[in-house]
Amino acid sequence: MLPSRFGRCECRLPLEMDLFFHPQVRLQDFEAVAMPHFPDLYRTSRILARDPAEAEDLVQDVFLEAWKSFHRFQAGTNCRAWLFKILFHRLHHFRRRWAKAAKVEQFSHPEDGDSFVAEPPVPQEIRDEDVLMALERLPIEFREVVLLADVQEFSYKEIAETLKLPMGTVMSRLSRARRLLRQQLAGVASSYGITGAEHQPSQDESA
Amino acid sequence: MKAPNFESERCQRIGQNLDAYLRGELPAEAQSQVRHHLETCEACKRELEVRTRLRKAVRLAVESQIAPDELRLSIQRRLRQMQPEQERVRFRQGLVAALVAGLCLLLGAVGIRQLLQVQQGRRLVEGVLALGVSDHIQCAIKGHNYPEVANPPDQLREKLGPQYSGLLAVVQQHLPGFEILEAHICSIPGSPRKYIHFITRGRGTILSVILTRREGEHLPGGGESNSGASAGVRLFEAHLQGMNAAGFESKGYWGFVVSDLNRDATLQIARELAPPLKSSLEAGEESPARLNLGADPSS
Repeated sequence: MLPSRFGRCECRLPLEMDLFFHPQVRLQDFEAVAMPHFPDLYRTSRILARDPAEAEDLVQDVFLEAWKSFHRFQAGTNCRAWLFKILFHRLHHFRRRWAKAAKVEQFSHPEDGDSFVAEPPVPQEIRDEDVLMALERLPIEFREVVLLADVQEFSYKEIAETLKLPMGTVMSRLSRARRLLRQQLAGVASSYGITGAEHQPSQDESA
Repeated sequence: MKAPNFESERCQRIGQNLDAYLRGELPAEAQSQVRHHLETCEACKRELEVRTRLRKAVRLAVESQIAPDELRLSIQRRLRQMQPEQERVRFRQGLVAALVAGLCLLLGAVGIRQLLQVQQGRRLVEGVLALGVSDHIQCAIKGHNYPEVANPPDQLREKLGPQYSGLLAVVQQHLPGFEILEAHICSIPGSPRKYIHFITRGRGTILSVILTRREGEHLPGGGESNSGASAGVRLFEAHLQGMNAAGFESKGYWGFVVSDLNRDATLQIARELAPPLKSSLEAGEESPARLNLGADPSS
């Protein structure tokens, strides 16, 4: 028979069962694992929120929320993924409020298959601001998957869990997002007089 | 060279898989099909380059944004203001937990066993429990009020006595990234068994190293329950109440690494720690000043 004691070693604090299930979570432990992800969370929020102030509110919310539920975080698991889940949970909450305040911009999605015939090449030289502007013009649900997939490099499965979407939806959104981005960037490039064709001499034969 | 043909069904199919290919998320067979196709199809190769460039451009652009330091500092200030509130919440949680614990005591051994998330085989877990390791999980990891600042080494050496103070250096050296907060010899009320107990902090968590003398017990399963060996030292593992324990044996001792890190991390730490601890313990066996850490024969 097993020993049935929930005893304690002599060294223990006098309260017998004070923290039987909850580790004494300390703020410094939380900060040690969570704060390194501050820049990633901020940059993601900055692109998903409507303005810098909103992004700051969002990031602050994420950290306060994470600290409140830190006892549920399993040490050794992926803290970044956990924080991003909180971020998107908060973001979707924020967005419901925004939706009430403003009419969401409609964007036409190309519905064709994943043929790349229609996809323009990406210019070789393109400024960060142009990429950010192109990102901003994507519908938010496409921006989300691009940020999680291409910037944060989460797996499809992790993205699906974070956004609470089926994996197939994540993959199709990502592919549409990429196509839209390429269209936007091609537009930017032609406005400079740069065309992808300069660097992609074989586009003609491919079309 | 094969003429590029975007219209071909094959290129279309490859195109659909290129993103997953880039991310290394295709099944092995499909991954190698795409790779093979890319070797011969210039058009798809160019397309891959374009997508690679696009991903990189997006990543660099997003990363070019500077996260304001003032915001980080202001968040940290807010967290500090929240802390007392958090402690009150935890006190309430502690009360609830105490009630649950009381209930567990009533339920007795059977109920407790049902609480355990036994993953690595009931018999092995029972063996580990019988050695009192679970009490240390309660004590050191789930509930121990470990010191905020590590106790000074002299104090730890004194607590361990001449026989075991030498182990401090062994544990510290082979537990990189962890700081020894506390070390002592302890026992569980009602049991004569004694434990050498190191409480360490690192990787955002608390990790215990627990040693206790073997009194002829054998962990069930023997070699079958091996989870890996390190320098000839057999390792065992068990999953207890959300904690992972990795154990090893020396001639005269059982040793355990217990933490809430994941299974692989715990096992890896045990793998590093087991051989040097084993040899130090076995060297100590020869010493006449041996401290009895086993069951007291008089009790």
